[in-house]
Amino acid sequence: MVRQVALNTHISGKFNTELENLRNSVLTMGGEVELQLVDTLKAIQQNNAGLAEKVILNDLKINNMEMQIDEECLRIIAKRHPTASDLRLVMMVSKAITDIERMGDEIERIARLVTKNKLPASETIKSSMLLIGERVVQMMRGTFDALARQDENSALEVYDQDNRIDAEYKKLLKYTTEEMQKSTDDMQDWLEVLWALRSLERIGDRCKNICEYVVYLSRGTDVRHAPLENIQQKLKHLS
Amino acid sequence: MLKLFEHETLDVQNLSEEETAIRVEKLNLQFGQKHVLHNISMRIPKNRITSLIGQSGCGKSTLISCFNRMNDLAPDCRYDGSIFIGGRDINRRKENVSQLRTQVGMVFQRPNPFPMSIYDNVCYGLRLQGIRVRRYLDDAVEQSLKDAALWEEVKDRLFESAHILSGGQQQRLVIARALALKPDILLLDEPTSALDPLTTLFIEELMASLKKRCTIVIVTHNMQQAARVSDYTAFLHQGKLIEYADSDTLFTMPEHKQTEDYITGRYG
Repeated sequence: MVRQVALNTHISGKFNTELENLRNSVLTMGGEVELQLVDTLKAIQQNNAGLAEKVILNDLKINNMEMQIDEECLRIIAKRHPTASDLRLVMMVSKAITDIERMGDEIERIARLVTKNKLPASETIKSSMLLIGERVVQMMRGTFDALARQDENSALEVYDQDNRIDAEYKKLLKYTTEEMQKSTDDMQDWLEVLWALRSLERIGDRCKNICEYVVYLSRGTDVRHAPLENIQQKLKHLS
Repeated sequence: MLKLFEHETLDVQNLSEEETAIRVEKLNLQFGQKHVLHNISMRIPKNRITSLIGQSGCGKSTLISCFNRMNDLAPDCRYDGSIFIGGRDINRRKENVSQLRTQVGMVFQRPNPFPMSIYDNVCYGLRLQGIRVRRYLDDAVEQSLKDAALWEEVKDRLFESAHILSGGQQQRLVIARALALKPDILLLDEPTSALDPLTTLFIEELMASLKKRCTIVIVTHNMQQAARVSDYTAFLHQGKLIEYADSDTLFTMPEHKQTEDYITGRYG
């Protein structure tokens, strides 16, 4: 049974506010990370080391947000003893922020390509990298949107986008390794590019995790580690 | 697959006769014109702790009182439906109520020791049954006080008045008094609501150890307590049984919106 978690219907107004703030804070953190990726892609496109540096410094802010939100989750569990959908919300937030923080770390790694001046010389690789980056931004946007609206269907649509990102990543990885074999002198630089590509793909996986938490929030069903078809079948069976 | 956490659950909707301590069938109860319990059917599992939760006036204390016919004391009480304990319907006219109450003990919100010594309190029920053998009574008092985790605190002052004991000790004394009769079922109607949090934890720990030897049914307003101590929880609302499931499920993913609203403290 799908059930929207209404945060503002508790008898305790203070508890309503605490849960609203918790949800808003995770969305703010998500928004920050999304902006970080947008800036990183811009920095790659413009070869703008200053902007990339800003992204790297900004990651500290995201780390700090994670710690604050985690502390707030702990405080709510200790003082409010949440149950049912409230408990699922707190647990979901606590897990989602770990994924969001890791997204921040992956973005930082990509931004370092620019500050270390290790951007791929090949325009094909660079433009494909930017294309995958754009898709990942869209996926992040969809993920946080589904989270804000607690929309299980949107979450599953976003979940599916990861397959396309994975396919494009594999294609680009193959092309990049072929290019690597042509010029083996600058192997260290190539490895940096490969790591950055891997980071982009990992952000997609993190988005997928958050989409699974959205389903958990609305259904109370753990759908992790299952292919999309199985998840859909499982949810259909529960309806 | 490796199982890291074991949480035993029984399907309370489909318990076998062997697993059932109390079987309630289509129980309706009225006080005068007021219909208090509506068509309740449920099976309470043996050697487990089952909590009844719900708002004040929802009928949970009335329901628990049906299990040892305490409602018979109210002159305007009428009921129909069946309650099977040990294979017999205790609602039948010829039920021996005194015998039933030795089999189904009850402890109330406020500790109610009798104005007599600790020793006499514990063996009060046994004496009523005609047992006078001193040796037997001594053993029963010691064992019951040990089972109620009170023996070490009172063994040197058994013949002093029960009223010198603290609230928590008095409540454990009352539990010992019920245990002396070796009940199959122990009914606890808000047993810790008048006690401090630490004493409450002692009583909860006591319940956990007692369930090995008897079935416990508890009425509580404290949802954390229900979640902590009980294996199964039933939620009642306006005299109706809304949801009855294992406590893990009921407190994490309740099926009914009314249950969810109640346990999360939302407007109904």
